[in-house]
Amino acid sequence: MIEFKNVGLVYPNGTEGLKNVNVTINDGEFVVIVGLSGAGKSTFIRSINRLVTPTSGSLEVDGENILDYKGKNLRKLRTKVGMIFQNYNLVKRSNVLKNVLAGRLGHSGTLRSVLGLFKDEDKALAYESLKRVNIEEKLYNRADELSGGQQQRVSIARVLTQQPKYILADEPVASLDPPTSHQVMSYLKKINKEDNITTIVNLHFIDMAMEYADRIIGMRAGEVVFDGPVSEVTEKTFEEIYGRSIREDDLRGGADSVEE
Amino acid sequence: MAALQLPPKPKNSLYKKIKGILIFLIVAAIYIWTFVSIDIDFAKAIEQVRQNFGNVISGLFQPNWAATGDVALSMLETITIAFAGSLMAAILSIPLAFLAANNMMGGKIGSAVGKWILSAVRAFPDIILAILFVVAVGPNPFAGVLAIAIGSTGMLGKMFSEIIESIDMDVVQAMQANGANRIQILFFAVMPQVIPEFLSYAIYRFEVDIRASSILGIVGAGGIGTMIFFASSNRDWSQMGTILLGIIIVVTIIDFASAKIRRKIV
Repeated sequence: MIEFKNVGLVYPNGTEGLKNVNVTINDGEFVVIVGLSGAGKSTFIRSINRLVTPTSGSLEVDGENILDYKGKNLRKLRTKVGMIFQNYNLVKRSNVLKNVLAGRLGHSGTLRSVLGLFKDEDKALAYESLKRVNIEEKLYNRADELSGGQQQRVSIARVLTQQPKYILADEPVASLDPPTSHQVMSYLKKINKEDNITTIVNLHFIDMAMEYADRIIGMRAGEVVFDGPVSEVTEKTFEEIYGRSIREDDLRGGADSVEE
Repeated sequence: MAALQLPPKPKNSLYKKIKGILIFLIVAAIYIWTFVSIDIDFAKAIEQVRQNFGNVISGLFQPNWAATGDVALSMLETITIAFAGSLMAAILSIPLAFLAANNMMGGKIGSAVGKWILSAVRAFPDIILAILFVVAVGPNPFAGVLAIAIGSTGMLGKMFSEIIESIDMDVVQAMQANGANRIQILFFAVMPQVIPEFLSYAIYRFEVDIRASSILGIVGAGGIGTMIFFASSNRDWSQMGTILLGIIIVVTIIDFASAKIRRKIV
């Protein structure tokens, strides 16, 4: 369970990233955060694994306040919280298997991992993760030989190999075309359901949020302006979150061509 | 249809014009001043060339084939000096580069210290280092190896630190986000990005060091330079011709091989 209690974050340049945020996310939920760019979606997500550190309030993950975590505690938290990025952030010159095994780093001894001596069960787990996102035949290809959608699937496999309790996805489909976007979102949703991993995704496409979310949190200027199950959300809700009427480019489209 | 409009002219053109003229005048002044002050006597120079150069050139183009064996041995020593020196430099410069790179362990102070050390090292010409090491360890090839190693560390350290500064830090962040510690991040996110470029520059530096080490023998630091020194002292131009031929062949082969290998790596 993740609990934001009066969380605020002011960046060194004075920008307020988060303002008095109170949100509780229960285990197994699939939450989509929507809002315009600059609304604080990334800051919200990155607070949970402390890539950014809120400056006030308390943020509890599984009942422990994580805001004063350092060193070992912080790495333990991050081992439990997987993350997917907009630009995949794979090591382009390393092969797919090595990239996916990097998901095990938090669970592995330093010397073993540095020498590349991963345990057999780690390798099996990595291969299994690649199979789950249907990219196992690219095992020994270099990451930069893959297309964007394939790279994002590898980064999902990396997160799966980490065996996290939570998955954070920061604009995972913003660099992809509509069919590939739906494919990536379907994988995330499937993993959420099958493994009961709490998943929090940042999106700015309204139709995708409606299609995949159990619950939607709307943000504007660092504040949570909407929080409720997807069944309560209407076009009007989005207009309130965005503070303007809905436009064509708020929609991703292409929902009919999901599978490869 | 509205007429097409030209883009507005850039501003502050007067300031730029004056700056341009000023720079031109300064460069011209330096150029004229150097020619006046070094006082070249062209007539005498031409006369000298006419008298002596004939011997030298004809000697150079009639190599002393009997010396081929000695030249080959000496050249081999030069190559080993260059290789040992570059290898030492490649290893020494890695920790210095990580210290000097501003996105790694050093922080601002460490980075400044590392960069300062590297520029201080670079300030010494190879030949001066060779003289120092000949005094320190005696007139033998080991002095040459040390001179090459220290001289190359300065340049490789600077290159390596710039390579480290240009890596994709998002990958580092991704590793942080899955709970990796600093050493794991170094080996999984940083090394795969920098190693090919490191290797490429180290090989290029080896190529440069072949040329550098062929001259170090002049001050007694081993290699083919020793033969160059004796040949020029004795005015033995055909011996010199053999030596130069040896250097040309080796440098050409190494350049060619280095280019091929480096293209494969990156």
